[in-house]
Amino acid sequence: MNTVPHAAPAPIASRPTMIEFRDVHKYYGDYHALRGINATIKAGEFFSLLGPSGCGKTTLLRTIAGFEDISSGAVLIDGKHMADVPANVRPTNMVFQSYAIFPHLTVEQNVGFGLRREGGTSAEKARRVEEALEMVGLKGYGKRAAHALSGGQRQRVALARALILKPKVLLLDEPLSALDKKMREQMQVELIRLQRQVGITFILVTHDQEEALVMSDRIAVMFEGQIAQLADPETLYRRPNSRQVANFIGVMNFLPARVLTEAAGRIAIDVQGLGQTEIDATQAPGAITGGETSVGFRPETLTMLYEGQTTTERETPGTIEEVVYYGDMTYYDVRLDGVDSPVRISMRNVFGRPVLDIGTRTRVAWSAGALVLFR
Amino acid sequence: MEEKSWWDRFRRTEAFAGYTLISPTALYALLLLVAPLATILAYSFLTDGDSVTRLVWEFTFDNYITTWTQPIYRAVMMRSLSVSMMVTAVTVILAFPVAYYVSFHVAPDRKSLWLFLITIPFWTSYLIRVFLWKVILGYNGVINSGLTSLGLIDEPLTFILYNVNSIVLTLAHAYAPFAILPIFVALEKIDRSLLEAGQDLGESRIMTFWRVTLPLAMPGVVAAVLIVLIPTIGDYVTPQLIGGGKIPMIANLIQSQMLDQDNRPLGSALAVSAMLIVTVVALAFVLLNARFLRVKK
Repeated sequence: MNTVPHAAPAPIASRPTMIEFRDVHKYYGDYHALRGINATIKAGEFFSLLGPSGCGKTTLLRTIAGFEDISSGAVLIDGKHMADVPANVRPTNMVFQSYAIFPHLTVEQNVGFGLRREGGTSAEKARRVEEALEMVGLKGYGKRAAHALSGGQRQRVALARALILKPKVLLLDEPLSALDKKMREQMQVELIRLQRQVGITFILVTHDQEEALVMSDRIAVMFEGQIAQLADPETLYRRPNSRQVANFIGVMNFLPARVLTEAAGRIAIDVQGLGQTEIDATQAPGAITGGETSVGFRPETLTMLYEGQTTTERETPGTIEEVVYYGDMTYYDVRLDGVDSPVRISMRNVFGRPVLDIGTRTRVAWSAGALVLFR
Repeated sequence: MEEKSWWDRFRRTEAFAGYTLISPTALYALLLLVAPLATILAYSFLTDGDSVTRLVWEFTFDNYITTWTQPIYRAVMMRSLSVSMMVTAVTVILAFPVAYYVSFHVAPDRKSLWLFLITIPFWTSYLIRVFLWKVILGYNGVINSGLTSLGLIDEPLTFILYNVNSIVLTLAHAYAPFAILPIFVALEKIDRSLLEAGQDLGESRIMTFWRVTLPLAMPGVVAAVLIVLIPTIGDYVTPQLIGGGKIPMIANLIQSQMLDQDNRPLGSALAVSAMLIVTVVALAFVLLNARFLRVKK
């Protein structure tokens, strides 16, 4: 093969720490916006803060930038306490949600805004501006007026303006939310490429779980001022530690369950409709309290069996209640026998597989390994 | 098919509705603005008569020649310009911090209260406000009697009334709200994230103000300058009352030519010349600031 050898990046755990939150609290009057944030973000990591609006993710990002004072606790960047460090001397730069492009300046004046305080000749600075514009794919746009740009172009100017200063950390506050779907997907890929190219720590705030899954090395899911779970995308998706996280990321089916016994890393459970089964202790990422609880499973971990098909997995009969056709996929809501509410099953529409009708009796294959046990 | 007259067709157009809506105002403006202006313009090219004939219908440029060559008129015109420029500078420089404070430091739900308070001086007439300054600054005025009773001075201060400084002070106070409001509006329109971006990119608060806030507030500053400069050049009441008639500005001179001297053609020529000068100064100022005014959102 003729590929360029590509050094695999060091695993995240072994990298030096770039940002550390130590029991960070933030009050706005009586409102407790951040409730004891503890987390470390590693150097060169693409880190996302994910959560619904009002969960405190933007506030947390702004404490890194220095736009928000914290009520108690500590924020450290590269080992240094940031308590008395104003925003303009922190080693961070930000891409604002509104992009905050200066409307009275041209594109190159915007990109070069932060260079005034740096040394070097004006020719050198002009060259750096040109390089930064080239990096974000805006070569030749320097003389344009800022207000004449499209949304995607403004975003690129904001990126170039921040990256030209070579910050230790780039903060991105919902940078893609103002773009249309196609543009957003294109920018996601470009941001990942850019982050690998410059090697800077990126911290992204988003409410879009898909965006976070696609782009991040690790994600902190936040609810009501607290981090609910901090993990890599795959762990978050496959082993959410609470129903809340599971619901926020992708689609999750829930069924009532009861813990029977728990011994030697194995847990015996009785699930409504599925019956008795045994799962591994790693399938219960949250603490287990025993007794009445619930299990969750993703739509794609179930398979509908067609006439004459057999399976090595467990199977349970049910009736199709709803069919939603998506082209490449079909979603079925199936009520398993003996279950109160239907579960969602996604099936790829591979060639030769018919789409079934509402009311069809079917058998659903499932495996105990795909279940997640919640508190 | 019925042939319709142009009037019937015109009556149904949107333009007709528009003209109908503006016609009372347009008529009013025509009668009270255009007609007097045209009269003044016509007067300025006529010859002055005696107390009986008043006006002689003979076309002449003499009035303009007198206006532009006699040192007294030039001196008064220059004084009008310099006083109004001083007033403008003082007003705008003092108005900016007020507008900035209300826009950036007053809680959003209290801003309208502040604007309301700023407009309170308008509750009394301009004439009364100017007269009040005379009461404050006068020979037996508030300041002098206060300082005398405190034993700080033996004789009333005479330099605080009847001079250019007191005219500037009075006019600056009278026009302050006119300067505060446009600057406030311009500051309100600035996206606050731009100021955060300025600091994020390494600039201090002061440099961010200089590089971001001020350029974006310039349309408001330009408007404030014009709103203060143009009327103060032609102000009549303040030089009369506060200047004690000893420091006439161009309006006082026009009044004296028109009524006291009964030389309407010369008074009209002075008025037309003053208007031209104001137009030139205002246009020059706008052109100088054109680069600030191009900014769009």
